[in-house]
This record gives sequence, structure tokens and C-alpha cells, in this order.
Amino acid sequence: MGKEKIIPTLALLIICISVISSIYVYATTIEKETITINNNEYSIDEIFLLSQEITITTVEGEKTGVSLENLITKSGISCPSCNEYTIKAADGYQKTMSWDDFKTGVITNFKRVFFPDAPKAFWVRDIVEIEVKNI
Amino acid sequence: MNKLRFIAAVLVFGSLWGFSEVLIGTSISDLGLPSGAIMTGFFALTFLVMSRMTFRQPGMQAGMGLVAGSLRMFNPFMGCHLCSAIAIAAEAIIFEIVWYKISFKSDYIKRPFMQASLGVVTGFSIYVGGYIVTQILTPIAAGATFYVENLIVFMPRILGSGLLPSVIAGILLPIIVISKKLDISIKDRLYYPLTLGITILCWVLVLGNFFLA
Repeated sequence: MGKEKIIPTLALLIICISVISSIYVYATTIEKETITINNNEYSIDEIFLLSQEITITTVEGEKTGVSLENLITKSGISCPSCNEYTIKAADGYQKTMSWDDFKTGVITNFKRVFFPDAPKAFWVRDIVEIEVKNI
Repeated sequence: MNKLRFIAAVLVFGSLWGFSEVLIGTSISDLGLPSGAIMTGFFALTFLVMSRMTFRQPGMQAGMGLVAGSLRMFNPFMGCHLCSAIAIAAEAIIFEIVWYKISFKSDYIKRPFMQASLGVVTGFSIYVGGYIVTQILTPIAAGATFYVENLIVFMPRILGSGLLPSVIAGILLPIIVISKKLDISIKDRLYYPLTLGITILCWVLVLGNFFLA
């Protein structure tokens, strides 16, 4: 098959794949008000009642929110440094971090995490779950 | 082709690309629009295709990606330089791979339908490829661990987000080809002052943005 057939076929295939993927993402997006932390559900208000707010300095300026270190400790995890933490967003985006990196961050009342040193790719927004994985 | 002329072209096209990523991309993002898809589908594709059609030098676009990525990386104004810089460099390299065997001298590529199809393939490949490379390299470059399961669960979203840049690129590529027929040329004595001037202006505006803010 020559390029004159391969290129249009590929283009059509690409359009189909991206449309199907978009439909799949739309259908599987999780819509919920609470955040699951270590299999327990917390509203953002409960998170802010559970732990004190701190301000950190990031590459985009100061960000104020609940310390993730405090939050994990207050949510009853006995050995925080024994785990890795996967932060999951409603659209399926997720990032896994070590305790040393994770504990430096904050979660804001817009359900977004910020970290002082990690790249913005780790600033997960619209969080639905923080999964605690034993290592 | 004269080596100095080639390097000047790489610098000017790369700087224009980086400049648009930093300043225009930020403005588009501030408006709440999908800046990544628009920047890749419109600006990146325009600079990459224009430079390839004008200079017909494979490898030039990879050099442009390095220049544009560097401008994004050294820009002190914006927050995350790393992911965008990696994405830009990856997009340029992927463009080189996709366009390795493409020649505008071939008859089949002169048909608008083929140009649109090539635009769709190119727009999707560079955007999705750049996105995937960023997801892999950003954690590694930041000293963290890359988790393959994080990428796998996010793949439908990445593939879905490739729709907009591929459609933009599909519409844009035939327009770029038509505009190229205008045959705008620069007089030799103006070539170096103009390319050097535009390059310096792009860098000064981006770096100066930090001090003006």
C-alpha cells in the first residue's frame, strides 16, 4: 500500500481512536464531592477541620492549604513513611509519590495539591482519591 | 545549504516557536482554553511545516525544538518549565520521524485531501507523542520515579485530547501549503540582520517579561 492510501487511512483511524477515547473518558469520569483517603471518605470541609492550614512557596508563588503530612497522620495511617501515595483525579490522571515528596505538599479547598519542589505535573487537580500503597 | 544560514534559520524559527509557547500559550491558558492542543495544532505545526517546506532540511526541526524548549526552560516568568520544555523538544523529534519520507515534490501530496490527512496524522502524532514523552520524562528528570500504571490509566484521556490538535492541523496544513505559494523571500543582505534581530527580540521579550511582571 502506497503513501497515498496509508496517510488517509491513518488519519481516519486517528479520528476514530480520539473520538472513542473522548467518549470513554466522558463516560468514566468520576463525579463525587468527597475524597477517598486510605479507603475513608472525607469532604473537603472535613479535611480542613481535620488538620491545620499551612502556606508553602511554589514556583507559582505561595499556596495555602492543608498539609498533606498532617492529613495523612490525622487520617490514622500509622507508618506514613512505609507507604507510597497515589493522587487520583476525576478524569483518570494520577501521580504516585514517595512519602518524602508527598509530605511537603498541601491540598487546597479547590481539591488540588501543590508541592514546593515537584514539577507541575504532580499538581493534580480535581482530586477524588489519595491511595495509600504499602511498599 | 550554507551552514551559517541554516543555523540562523533554526534559531529564528525555534525562537518564534518558543516565544509563542511562552507568551501566547500562557494567554490562551489564562482564557481557559486548551492551550496545549491549540499551541501544538496551530503554532508548532505552522513553524515546523513552514521551515520544512522552505529549507527542506531534515534535522532542522529537531534543532528548532531544542531552541524553543530552551526558551521555555529558561523563561523565569512561568512556573513549570520542565514539562513544557520536554514536550516541545519531543514534538520536534516526532515531527522529524513522521516527516522523514515526506516530500512536497511528490504528486500525491499536492492534493488538498492528502495535505489535510497528513495534517491530521502530524498534529495527532506530535501532540500525543509529546504528551506521552512528558509523562514519562518529567518525573524522571525531577528525580522521582516513573510509574507505568499512572500512564496506562491516563492513556484514554491522552488519546482523546489528540482530537483537537489533529483537527486544527488537518485544516491548517492545506492553508500553509497555499500560503507558501506566495513565495515571500528575503534579500540576502537583510537575511542575517533580520533573523538575528527577531531571535534576540524573542529572547529579550520572554526574559524581560520576568522583570516587567
